[in-house]
Amino acid sequence: MSNVTLTPAEFTLVKFDADQVRALIDQTLGEIEFPVDVDVTIDVDEVLPHPLTASMANVVDGAAHLWYTGGCFESPKRQTGLSVDHTRVELGVGLLRAKDRLVGGFENAPADEQLDDRQRTLWDTYAEGRLVPLGFPVRIPRRRYTFRLYGGFNDVADAAFEQLWTGAPITWDGLSAMAESLAAADTRPERKKSLRKETLRQAPAA
Amino acid sequence: MRKQLPPEMLARDSRFVRTSIMDQVMDPRNAKMGERELGSARLQPERPAAADRARNLMHGIFTGEIQALEGAGRTTFDFDDDEAPFALKLDMARQCWDESRHVEISVKLGDWMGTEIGEYSEATFLYEAACAPDPILRLCGVNRALEGLAIDVFNTMREFGDLSGDPVLEFCEDWMLADEVTHVKMGSDWLRRLTADDPERRERALDFQRTVDKLFSLGGFRGESEENPIQLARTFRSMAGFSTDEIDELAEIAAQAQEDARAMVAGGS
Amino acid sequence: MSDPSKPRAAFAPWDRRELPGLFTVEESARRVGTYKWLEMRLFESLGGWVATVPELDVKLVLGRHCYHHAWHAELMDKRLPELREMNTDRLCEPANPEMVAFVAALQEPEAPEHTIEKLVGIFRVLLPRKIAAYTYHMNATSRITDSPTQRSLGFMLQDEFEDWREGEMLLQSLIETPEDVERAARRQAELETLVLAAGGIAGPGTLGSDVVTEGASV
Repeated sequence: MSNVTLTPAEFTLVKFDADQVRALIDQTLGEIEFPVDVDVTIDVDEVLPHPLTASMANVVDGAAHLWYTGGCFESPKRQTGLSVDHTRVELGVGLLRAKDRLVGGFENAPADEQLDDRQRTLWDTYAEGRLVPLGFPVRIPRRRYTFRLYGGFNDVADAAFEQLWTGAPITWDGLSAMAESLAAADTRPERKKSLRKETLRQAPAA
Repeated sequence: MRKQLPPEMLARDSRFVRTSIMDQVMDPRNAKMGERELGSARLQPERPAAADRARNLMHGIFTGEIQALEGAGRTTFDFDDDEAPFALKLDMARQCWDESRHVEISVKLGDWMGTEIGEYSEATFLYEAACAPDPILRLCGVNRALEGLAIDVFNTMREFGDLSGDPVLEFCEDWMLADEVTHVKMGSDWLRRLTADDPERRERALDFQRTVDKLFSLGGFRGESEENPIQLARTFRSMAGFSTDEIDELAEIAAQAQEDARAMVAGGS
Repeated sequence: MSDPSKPRAAFAPWDRRELPGLFTVEESARRVGTYKWLEMRLFESLGGWVATVPELDVKLVLGRHCYHHAWHAELMDKRLPELREMNTDRLCEPANPEMVAFVAALQEPEAPEHTIEKLVGIFRVLLPRKIAAYTYHMNATSRITDSPTQRSLGFMLQDEFEDWREGEMLLQSLIETPEDVERAARRQAELETLVLAAGGIAGPGTLGSDVVTEGASV
């Protein structure tokens, strides 16, 4: 089993039970068959609430480093409370993407900070689609809307979504080519194409 | 059936969970959030978490429309014929149909955006503004303040639909926006008609409207700067019968609410 | 090419409308006034109930129907001055005290678990009664002299039929057990007894039975 570090060790601003989150991480690692010899660090920025959802999954020196806003795990129904379903899916997507970087054909992918929205949403879709047969509580309409928002509201984007959602293996090179084909098919004016470089992630205050 | 139904008695099925304004005000993360440099708060596709923020706002619109339907419905029932003119009740019944349609549109839009009914908690302060004992206060609080806010929200969402190239969102918001302009105009017309010979009552009604406007500008939710998720829709408000002075005053209320929020954060950190 | 100078009958051969009708101007106005009063109470009830029903589909249907009945009240309100009643409030009244009692009983349910009772009152008692009364009015009044009332009643009946069907379907979907059947039947019987005591929504003679027995001209 991987050596897992969750930060913060105890949550103080939200009512997340750190032991429960750790258990969900362990469960997810097992379900997605994450490499057992890889250390995992997961940072949760508990200041940022739902709906400020954002995450990153990188591999540095052979270890997986994941970062989430607290909003990713928060229940939209109970302010500051944990949503087990949301947490499972967010962890599943993040850890699968980290696994892709380690052994899944994404070894040459740029760090998350360097991805544009289109590349990122394609990769997230590929990961979330693979959670379906594992029994994770994923919601296809939610993912499809996010996909269209960044991939385009057109048939080419919808076909790409179906391909990724079925989980047919793809590498970073294939995925980035797909992102380029979506860009070419996107008839929205440039100003309407979202390719942001902003991030919610900040260095902790000294 | 009693007259004046309190907010806690609003009937909902098991999917809905209620939250209070105190839950939001007392959230310990508020002070910490104020210390962060999170950039523009405007709801735009290029901003982080745009999809979840849009979904969240869409569900807020959905529950707001339910409460607007309930508020208009109660105004047809709560007042006897001598308290509320026949024509006013007809307008409120018409609004019931419009709000009912808006709920239907919101449900369909929720499906489109991947939001489930009851996915987010529901705050009832919109309906609370519809519980005023004087019908003209209700008209000011609901039709001018809250439906006015709806103009700002729908315009923001319509722009979001346009910027993201989402044809369904833009189409739906544009239609709802047309209805809201009508509702606000209704409120403005009734305010003038019912208080033509009663300046004191008019002032009370406008005071109530200011209170509601301030409440819904809480924490800088609505305004004219980059820090405000919802932007004041001056053109549509003008179409709905707001004078330039009234819109300027609202902008000031919003700016003041933002300052109050900053002061609260500074005091709490 | 037709001959523009050729005289033609004022009524086409297929237009079989006749001049006589059972209602005087005053009687038509009286009935229109009671309809307006009832449509007002009905749209107010539906508006009030919107907040008290938890079923989302029912909530939305009540919101929509609320406006239908408000529009009916408006149509009747506009017709009254055309029937020589310039003070439209004067004739906007219940047919009798028993009708007031019926409406009070109709509006009584409030609790969220009483949706069946609310809908039975509207869709199994009141709307069928209105359909009957409006149909009688359309058939009984002069199709020439009172055709503006007839036209309005035609629009109203179209709403009533469609709303009744929608409400009845909602009820059938809500009635799931023999106990629910019993509840609905009991509620219907209670309210039917009250509207019977009122003699119908326009009072005794709503469907003209008094006319037949007494041989009166109205």
